[in-house]
Amino acid sequence: MKTFQNLLMLLALSLVLGLIAYFPGKKMARIHVNDKTAVEDHPLSCISCHYYSQTSGVISKLINVDYLSPFNLALSNDGNRLYVIAQDANALLVVDTKSNKVLNKISVGMHPHSVILNAKGTLAYVSNEWSDKVSVIDLQASKVIDSLNTGNGPAGLSLSADGQFLFVVNAFSSNLSIINLNSKEELKRLNTGNNPTGTVLSPNGKSLYVTSRRANAAPYGETLISDLTVIDTKSQSVQKRIGMESAYIMENVAFTPSGDLAITTLIRPKNNIPSVQVEHGWMMNHGIGLVEQKENGRVIQLLLDEPNTFYPDPFDIVITPDGKKAFVSSSGVNVISVIAIDSIRNLLANASPKMLKMYSNNLGMSSRFVIKRLTTGANPKGLALSPDGKRLYVAEQLEDKIAVINTETLETVNSIDLGGPKRITVARQGRRLFNNASHTFQNQYACYTCHPDTHEDGLTYNFAAVGRNLANVISLREIAGTAPFKWNGTNQSIYKQDGMRFSRFLTRTETFNYDDLDALVAYVKTGIKYPPNLMYHPNAELTASQLRGKEFFERSVDNEGKLIPKNNRCITCHSGPRYTNLKMADVGTLASTDDPTLFDTPHLNDIYSAAPYLHDGRAKTLEEIWTVYSTKDEHGRVNDLSKIQLNELIDYLKSLRGPRYNKADSNSLFFKSKNEKDYENSIKKTY
Amino acid sequence: MLLTKSNTIIKNFLIAACFAMLFNACKEQATDGMIVMTQVATNLVNSNDSSVKDILYHSKSRIVALNPNKSGESLMVLSKDFFSACAPNISYDGKQMLFAAQKNQNDPWQIWELNFDNLKYKQVTDSPQNAIDPTYLPDGTIAFSKTVSFNKLNTSLALFTCNLDGTNLKQIGFNPNAHVASSVLMDGRIVAISQQMFPYQSDKNFMILRPDGTKEELFYQGLKGGNLQTRACETSDGKLVFIESDNRNQVGGNVISINYNRPLHSRLNLTSNINGDFYAVSALNANKLLVSYRASKSERFALFEFNIEDKTLEQVIYKDNDFDVLEVVYIQKHERPRKLPSEVNLDSKTGLLLCQDINFTAAQTTTDSTSTLNATKIEVLGIDKSLGIVSVEKDGSFYLKIIADTPFRIQTLDQNNRVVKGPGSWLYLRPSERRGCVGCHEDPEQVPENRQPLSANNNPVLIPVLAEVLNNKVSLK
Repeated sequence: MKTFQNLLMLLALSLVLGLIAYFPGKKMARIHVNDKTAVEDHPLSCISCHYYSQTSGVISKLINVDYLSPFNLALSNDGNRLYVIAQDANALLVVDTKSNKVLNKISVGMHPHSVILNAKGTLAYVSNEWSDKVSVIDLQASKVIDSLNTGNGPAGLSLSADGQFLFVVNAFSSNLSIINLNSKEELKRLNTGNNPTGTVLSPNGKSLYVTSRRANAAPYGETLISDLTVIDTKSQSVQKRIGMESAYIMENVAFTPSGDLAITTLIRPKNNIPSVQVEHGWMMNHGIGLVEQKENGRVIQLLLDEPNTFYPDPFDIVITPDGKKAFVSSSGVNVISVIAIDSIRNLLANASPKMLKMYSNNLGMSSRFVIKRLTTGANPKGLALSPDGKRLYVAEQLEDKIAVINTETLETVNSIDLGGPKRITVARQGRRLFNNASHTFQNQYACYTCHPDTHEDGLTYNFAAVGRNLANVISLREIAGTAPFKWNGTNQSIYKQDGMRFSRFLTRTETFNYDDLDALVAYVKTGIKYPPNLMYHPNAELTASQLRGKEFFERSVDNEGKLIPKNNRCITCHSGPRYTNLKMADVGTLASTDDPTLFDTPHLNDIYSAAPYLHDGRAKTLEEIWTVYSTKDEHGRVNDLSKIQLNELIDYLKSLRGPRYNKADSNSLFFKSKNEKDYENSIKKTY
Repeated sequence: MLLTKSNTIIKNFLIAACFAMLFNACKEQATDGMIVMTQVATNLVNSNDSSVKDILYHSKSRIVALNPNKSGESLMVLSKDFFSACAPNISYDGKQMLFAAQKNQNDPWQIWELNFDNLKYKQVTDSPQNAIDPTYLPDGTIAFSKTVSFNKLNTSLALFTCNLDGTNLKQIGFNPNAHVASSVLMDGRIVAISQQMFPYQSDKNFMILRPDGTKEELFYQGLKGGNLQTRACETSDGKLVFIESDNRNQVGGNVISINYNRPLHSRLNLTSNINGDFYAVSALNANKLLVSYRASKSERFALFEFNIEDKTLEQVIYKDNDFDVLEVVYIQKHERPRKLPSEVNLDSKTGLLLCQDINFTAAQTTTDSTSTLNATKIEVLGIDKSLGIVSVEKDGSFYLKIIADTPFRIQTLDQNNRVVKGPGSWLYLRPSERRGCVGCHEDPEQVPENRQPLSANNNPVLIPVLAEVLNNKVSLK
């Protein structure tokens, strides 16, 4: 009886203590959640931040799964086999197009980009963008038989007409490797436009076109120009560079079978215009660029958008063998736009240069040549046509499926399930949201549009008051632990960054609901993958130059033997694993058009790939930060350094890469990932 | 014993409660799947309510509900306590209906809401002026039109919003145009018939604006000399349908369809091959419309199904030789449009307007015109006076800070202040609104060139350029 009473007392006491703790606890939780989300009605759900956003450990393994993420495609000569780049699985999938079954999964290098077959269809070449190699696959044996060295970030592939040379577009080093397939040696490396990815050989085999995704470096306000590089395949030299004005993100390019037109996908950003509205395409337009293949051929741009509906992030383009239709994957809205090429020819036939300039900014033009919009699964990327042109295969990257479209009836006739996980994780849902423009007014742009590959587009925008507070787009890689956000540090969390203010000033439509916001934040915090900086840090060792630069970075005494004030040392502000102390600082680069503020100290991981620099993108290179914009040591003590020493400091800075690549041990994703090991083993076995 | 008894009572109570909840959950709303119509018995030409200028409101009109699946069932009169009632608009959950009504003969029209569950109604607006054409907004408020004076002599119908209890009344449209027949598109914007009333009366258009009144712009240009007669009704496949006649005085017209994606250039007359008149239209499903139609002037407007693909009238749903069917809407739950964020800040007294190049016009979009305009200034015209003349930058751009909620028009001038291009349509800016235009009278489908306007490098020019403002007697901060 006494035990029962004691038990009862204990229960009552627990209840009272629980109640005492509950109400203040709930109040504190409310304050915490309000602070993180910048709203007052986000559900008091701990899992939003503390579960979905786990990046390591058991919980992370439980809630996340690995998807396939089909990216680019190629078909066998008889059309019976479809070869699918499974980018997140580091594999090439072999699909039987009769049975729609996956027959084989061949491990390749890291983050494969493109696949191309030799003329006989016996070999496949797969570019491994994050391994700086091309895998050579024996299709009969379904095995990797060789590995070819390339430049940094091999992406688009093309073969010479005689099959003797492989052209590899190096996306990160912005050049083109020409590889002799007999000797397996790289013969030449030609400079291309900025961040090239797509390439195509002209039907006569004489010219090779290479796209670029980033515009050439230029001060804010100047006309953007992105290069289409034309290579003369005979001399294997750059024939010309075609400047595509006011355009960028030229992902892919295709030729008409007759060879009269080269057509590239592109985006026309409006970054030089203050973003006073979204209506009427004042933020982003999406379309195609055409290059006439004749003497004095014109360079023309046309929009795929319509006055009230936009088709963001055009990725791939293919043209039917009869030259009548082109298909463009608009990856931001899950649409394939079907283009009547003769209608474009008619449109251009009688147009003066002045009219063509107007056409490039007219949302009504697409009604003259787009004959249908076909809906696909999430995030359509690479396209491939069957040899007879009757079937179009669409890589639905975030669906793990391939859509099959009848090109005559323009109906989707099949969907090939590649066998990816059926469960859609919160982070995967976040990635879908990130890549989809439906959360922007009239679908004008997705998060991905300004942050391609979850990175940045290299542009500076005027989002705030007209002519004031220009902002350079920053990379989203590894930003999870780097709060606050925005250059002026006004957003204390990603929740706030992407929440209500985001919709009021940027997307201009209904804000994300909290489930979607949870998913988006989870993706940004946990799901973003990025390349290992093989250009400046190919292995775990720093070069001698980088080691010297590291000393300058960490020094406390200058060249004159004087103690550098603590707040003027690199390492003070750029400390810790992410090279930021998460504090605000004055580095003397506030513009007269900026509101008075200190600067949020940015992290430095992967800074090599994040040009331009400073909050408003005024520094084209890292060097310019000090040589042009910090001549009085406002941005750290550097003016005592010699030119060579500054180069060494910069060399070190360029070597910095995200934590997931920092250790060459068993935890390193790059060196010891399972697929990477499979890939290495398969090569070893071959030899 | 007592405990057992009370337990039994609680148990029975819980069971009863569960049954009640289950019953309620399963109970179909009495009006689900019914069609709501507005009817009038008197002759249409003679019954226009003179108190509501330029719109088709009829004295003694009534709102009824019809069950299309029970042909023998009589109509349910939903507005039996009102002298006149019309303009029904169904809530997104299909459980309520807004309408405009006169309680008594000489009362101003007001907005009311009917609950379909208990058929009880409540008054939403209570104004000495007419309040008409209500529509639900996605954020739980409503929009409607209300008579306002825009100068000493002239009145018009402006758009307002308010809560469902009539509180938080806000005017959102401020140009001297009559705005009626509003509806909400899936993108969250309000589309309404708009007719310029001052300084001259023009043809009706559909204008579109955000629910906070910002970014008002032309959506559909009505026929010259024609008459837009109904709300625009959005179908599930991205079309908008409405009734338009080519004659301003005609009773009824044709069913017109336009595409949301390209509304200015996609007009399609769905009923050009059908003799007779159409008076009302609304969407039934993806391929079917509900229309009110009469084959000849001697007949009454009756309710039909209309097949969009075949462009044919199908079965008659309801016909009454004593009544015309003036409006029709299907009672069903439907998707809520986007809830758009507002950029309006009522603490601000101005809005900002940025123009890229005043010499860029529509003519340059579609032709190879080589004529060069030589406008170097703009004049901002108010209702009854000039608000100021501003020199533009070398690139033709200007950047203005304009007193908010004030109508204005812009005309371009040459160096000697001669008019190059006369005033365009009325504009206004909401407090803290930011707007841009590519040129003057430019093609609405033209997007701006990615070029930083020179005017963006300077502070905006304050409009009106008034002595009161310049002398700091009126603060625009």
